[in-house]
Amino acid sequence: MPKILLVEDNEMNRDMLSRRLERRGHSVVMAHDGEQGLLLAGTEMPDLILMDISLPIMDGCEVTRRLKADKRTRHIPVIALTAHALVTDRVKAIGAGCDDYDTKPIEFSRLSEKIHNCLAEKKAL
Amino acid sequence: MSFQNLSIRRKLTLITMLTSSIALLLSSASFLIYDLISFRHLLTEDLTTQAEIIGYNSAAAMAFKDEPAATATLSALRVKGDIVAAVLYSPDGTMFAQYFSNDNTLPTFLPSRSQEEGYRFKGRYLEVWHEVTLNGEPLGTLFLQSDMRQWSTRAKRYAGICLGFVLISGFFAFLVSAKLQRVISGPIVHLEDTVRMVSATKNYEVRAVKSYSDEIGSLIDGFNTMLSDIQQRDTALRGANDELQTRTQELEQEISHRKQAQEELLKAKYVAEEASRAKSTFLANMSHELRTPLNAIIGYSEMLEEEAQDSGTEAAVQDLQKIKSAGKHLLALINDVLDLSKIEAGKMSLHLEMFDVSGMIEEIVTTLQPAIEKNKNTLRVRLAEDVGMMRADITKVRQILFNLLSNACKFTDHGTISVDVDQRTVEGLAWLRFRVTDSGIGISAKQQTNLFQEFAQADTSIARKYGGTGLGLAITHRFVQLMKGRIEVESQPGEGSMFTVHIPAQVTPETVGPTATEGSSDASDAIADMQTGRDTILVIDDDAAVRELMTRFLMKLGFSVLTVANGEEGVRLAKQVHPVLITLDVVMPECDGWTILSKLKADPELSKVPVIMVTIVDNEAKGFDLGASNYLIKPVDRERLAVLIEKHRITRSKAITGIDTVSKSFLSHDNKRGEVGAEASEKVSHAENLAGRR
Repeated sequence: MPKILLVEDNEMNRDMLSRRLERRGHSVVMAHDGEQGLLLAGTEMPDLILMDISLPIMDGCEVTRRLKADKRTRHIPVIALTAHALVTDRVKAIGAGCDDYDTKPIEFSRLSEKIHNCLAEKKAL
Repeated sequence: MSFQNLSIRRKLTLITMLTSSIALLLSSASFLIYDLISFRHLLTEDLTTQAEIIGYNSAAAMAFKDEPAATATLSALRVKGDIVAAVLYSPDGTMFAQYFSNDNTLPTFLPSRSQEEGYRFKGRYLEVWHEVTLNGEPLGTLFLQSDMRQWSTRAKRYAGICLGFVLISGFFAFLVSAKLQRVISGPIVHLEDTVRMVSATKNYEVRAVKSYSDEIGSLIDGFNTMLSDIQQRDTALRGANDELQTRTQELEQEISHRKQAQEELLKAKYVAEEASRAKSTFLANMSHELRTPLNAIIGYSEMLEEEAQDSGTEAAVQDLQKIKSAGKHLLALINDVLDLSKIEAGKMSLHLEMFDVSGMIEEIVTTLQPAIEKNKNTLRVRLAEDVGMMRADITKVRQILFNLLSNACKFTDHGTISVDVDQRTVEGLAWLRFRVTDSGIGISAKQQTNLFQEFAQADTSIARKYGGTGLGLAITHRFVQLMKGRIEVESQPGEGSMFTVHIPAQVTPETVGPTATEGSSDASDAIADMQTGRDTILVIDDDAAVRELMTRFLMKLGFSVLTVANGEEGVRLAKQVHPVLITLDVVMPECDGWTILSKLKADPELSKVPVIMVTIVDNEAKGFDLGASNYLIKPVDRERLAVLIEKHRITRSKAITGIDTVSKSFLSHDNKRGEVGAEASEKVSHAENLAGRR
């Protein structure tokens, strides 16, 4: 059962997304800000991280940068979730080291596919 | 000072004096000459008489050759002071007797021989020759010489008198002329003074006083008339000047008023623009803020719907579907508002790319299938044969057609909707024409006038009946304008509508800015980009369309792009340009991608440059074996490519210093590189030209 760390500050989005992920058979760990996300990534060692980009305390880009700088967490794929439908934000997220991204509003089937691809790629490596 | 420059007073005096003196001198001289001539005549007669007397008296002595007697006779001449010499010549011509006055003992010369009777003047002297006869018999010749002392004394005295007379009369003439010249010079001097005063003081009220009615008088009259003319004009001019000044002041005031007004207007315009921008920004932000809770609504309803389906509570599923569709409608509204606000804020930019028109139409039709079926409509799509690729912003073209078609579906019931696409050339430019026709409710002429305005649905009742945001056509219109196209509508109420959109087959970037450089892939551009710090990606592919697409896409990601069709050339170019990344096709004429990949990896300079294989050949293993970093199968998934490139960019930025040194060393060989780059890019730009940049 793949473990997913969901870093999202909006409670409703967090709740909804986690429940939907669980329904698809994922185990979900949740963080409500960047700092907690960084902490949980280190302790929980998830198979994948869903990272909201605009987060309190530490934004998603910064968290990703730190995760990718750390030997222990570097291998964990990070999918950025950004509310801004702008190309520049995607590029910023990729620039920070995110492996993929998806834009809000979340279309669950699309996100599922991306999660699946990332996990498959990780397995292949 | 010459005569011409003397004052008129002096001139008049001088002229008068000169004239009178000359007249006086001439008359005196003529009198003098006349007198002297007649006096000389008298003298001659006198001397001749003397000679006769002396001759007579000395005739006896001559006859008897008595020289002493003759000399005595001659000596009697002593009383005559002016006779200088007297000589008696014998008939043979020799000197017989002679006499010389005391004070003139040595005459200048004496004729040695007698000469013929008569008198003659020789220099200062008068000489008389007289034949001495006795009873008709010639005895000899008498010679008398006079120094004309009387004559010259007389002449001197007369000249003196004349001079004195001239001087005295000259003096009187001066007195008289000095008095009389004023008659002429006075008025002239007065006129001159007046002129000087007028020109000095500019006082045109002064008048010259007329003394006499002669020419000068009329001159003064003329002058006065002229002065009064000038005075009149001066007054008029001054009045005009005053008026002009007043007008100028008025104008200046007017100008400053206008300037002020203009500034105020500019300020107001700026404020209005700011307000409009602020409004648009607010709308954009607002839309984002609205989306977050809306996403929750849609998400939860979707989730609940799934759960309800699982638990079999059918009634709840339908209600949840209603919530979800209402939420999605609201989301569509918000997206429309966001689009409009982006357009108004000038933030809507074009992402131009080449795409296949038929593919796009197919996609839209598939998406719209449910909407078409909803009102039991039939859809007919007609694509002209010559319609192939177009270069435009695909998302916007898609949205334009989507909006038009969903409107057609919405307002048509049990009818026919048709889409016609063809290509036509107008004034050398290729245009694509999309026509969406329906047999629906139609639009009245009045409704058509503000059809493309925001929130201007044909009728408020329509909104209630058919729903919709009233923004669809406004956005459609703006998008068409953005791509320099145009949209037309033809409709009759109850008889359906026909919307026609014309879009250039090759849309050009809307502004001359960063987007404008998208079209060019010149090596020189790449070099310029390198100098501005953009990284270069080398695309090696024999397909011009792929090169074009890759160029646009990579440029959008912020890279500078060099493209080349030939593999060998690609290797050469890579050595010169040191790209941060290379994309490589496998199937190419002349030299295949595998060979090129091996060459790239065998070159110590290039072995570290990541190579992404972009090909239709599915042989990932071979690619990785030869040293490729990634392997993408055509058609390229752009997002995947972007992610891969970004990854390499990050890896590279960690080791940036090494690469920088290489790019610097390369910059010193710019001539050679420029040539090769131009060659390489030629094919691309040629392909662009062929594609219809006419």
